[in-house]
Amino acid sequence: MAMNIVVCVKQIPDPADPGELDPNTKTLKRDVKLILDEADSYGVEMALQLVDAAGGGEVTLVSMAPDDEVGGIRTALAMGAAKAVLVSDEALVGSDALGTAKVLAKAIERAGDADLVITATESSDGYTGTVPEQVAELLGLPSITFAKSIEVDGNTIKVKRQTEAGYDDVEAPTPAVISVTAGVVEPRYPSFKGIMAAKSKPVDEVTVADLGLDADAVGWAGARQEIVEIATAETREAGTIIEDEGEGYAQIVDFLADLKVI
Amino acid sequence: MRFAPTEEQAEFRSAVKALLADTCDIVAVRASWGGEVGRHTDVGQGNGRVERAWKGLADMGVLGLLVPEADGGMGMTQDAFVGIAVEAGYAGLPDPLIETAAVAPPVLASSSEPLASEILARIACGEVTVGVGFGESPIVPCASTADWFLILTGSAAHLLDASAADITPLSSVDGARHLGRVNWNADDSTVVVSSDSDAVALAAARNAAATFSAAALVGLSHRMIDMTVEYVGERRQFGVPIGSFQAVKHELADAALGVEFAEPLAFNAAHLLSVGEDATVAASMAKSRASRSSQVASDVCLQLHGAIGYTVEHDLHLFMKRAWALSRQYGDFRTHRAVVRRALLED
Repeated sequence: MAMNIVVCVKQIPDPADPGELDPNTKTLKRDVKLILDEADSYGVEMALQLVDAAGGGEVTLVSMAPDDEVGGIRTALAMGAAKAVLVSDEALVGSDALGTAKVLAKAIERAGDADLVITATESSDGYTGTVPEQVAELLGLPSITFAKSIEVDGNTIKVKRQTEAGYDDVEAPTPAVISVTAGVVEPRYPSFKGIMAAKSKPVDEVTVADLGLDADAVGWAGARQEIVEIATAETREAGTIIEDEGEGYAQIVDFLADLKVI
Repeated sequence: MRFAPTEEQAEFRSAVKALLADTCDIVAVRASWGGEVGRHTDVGQGNGRVERAWKGLADMGVLGLLVPEADGGMGMTQDAFVGIAVEAGYAGLPDPLIETAAVAPPVLASSSEPLASEILARIACGEVTVGVGFGESPIVPCASTADWFLILTGSAAHLLDASAADITPLSSVDGARHLGRVNWNADDSTVVVSSDSDAVALAAARNAAATFSAAALVGLSHRMIDMTVEYVGERRQFGVPIGSFQAVKHELADAALGVEFAEPLAFNAAHLLSVGEDATVAASMAKSRASRSSQVASDVCLQLHGAIGYTVEHDLHLFMKRAWALSRQYGDFRTHRAVVRRALLED
């Protein structure tokens, strides 16, 4: 049975280069080259494996990014995804989690009938961790979070859902929105043939209007949250340095005794 | 003439960089050593191979990059490989990547022997490694694990089945090197390409060996400099990191400058190999500069690591000793500088 899966992927500034906050907009500067969020590479890999196991179907990517950015999408296409929908629009600047979810939900509908929508649990630069559930609600689909494995059995999705103590077995009918945890599969490296093929795979670039959304519902206009202030995180205070003149151990013992750990 | 990498070649290179960062880390490089690896009593059991990295390189398409499409490869040219050789150097990959994936394929592809075609197909899928040697009694890196030897004499390229070859193991300063002397007698039955049939391919093989080992030296030098920049940022004397001292900064700047000038020479030589032009002088320029600058980088990085740098336990040794060995392989600084000098005088 062929299986079509939509994977939501975020393109983020390279975490290797420390990000900067814009003091005016109080948001992350995103005018640098963007790459595929590593958290999403697990979802892409999971989707590719499920399509392989189903023996047919394809993986479609959905992404929202500034300036028609496709750098991260190309990486996921090189891994084996078939096509992508990219939403890029000036009106999206300042979108909060719900605004993002509205856009992604519409883009997922545009991507065609999906048996499954896969997301990461949260992005590596925003960390709200609420978008997957919001997308599910907007699409009217069941939502399962923190999946560490996914199995498809006919029209049922069986998920091992990570918990603090272990995992829960959860089932839902297809289609469903599932967020996967990082590290559950090993994302494949793109092959050279995959990198070359990715260049000719279709990326459907759309605007807010193309999705039939009102520009007032997204971006700064639609945001229900306001970033009031940004401040530098407090640096940890330097520890105490003890010069060891042969009696250093005694001071360590005293220190631990003060903490009442010995 | 443009010899900067294309966007696609840059993507290939960064894919390889990510693969090797995961599959060929310091632990894997140290484990590949067969000689002294730590305390004076520890002798490594490694065979000079990092199997996981090799399999990844095969799956990615690196090993078949220069293998013709008809033999299951991608049929690309040497300019697509040179950045990859830099990354292999940076990672300290001990496997015979340059020999197997970049020196042997063009020679085998110019042969009309059915065996050459069969070996090309097996290179592309990662089944075999090829050790490359020059001269009548060649000293070959990775000799103990190579499946085939490609031996280039002045007049022919010979392909020898390693399982039938007599190898004398030799020690190397680089414990992952597993050098061996291949004892054999030239025989018409092992010839795959002769100078009568394709002298250009034989000359190109020499130039490719020099060019890609130059590229690997550039990567090794970058790695040593990166390690040292990190170290001098941590190591403190007189209450400040030693990297804040001008004497330290200048040493590192000199080392980095040498490597920056060496890298484009390797790219230029690879470009000439790609378009089928004579790369003899360009390859020698690349190898002489890369050898010299890696020597400077090795000396500076060892010096700035202070006493800890002299201990075999320190990771710097894995890269420094590779650089020492590689800078002398396929022609050392003087040999290649002499080629450039002769070419200048002839003009």
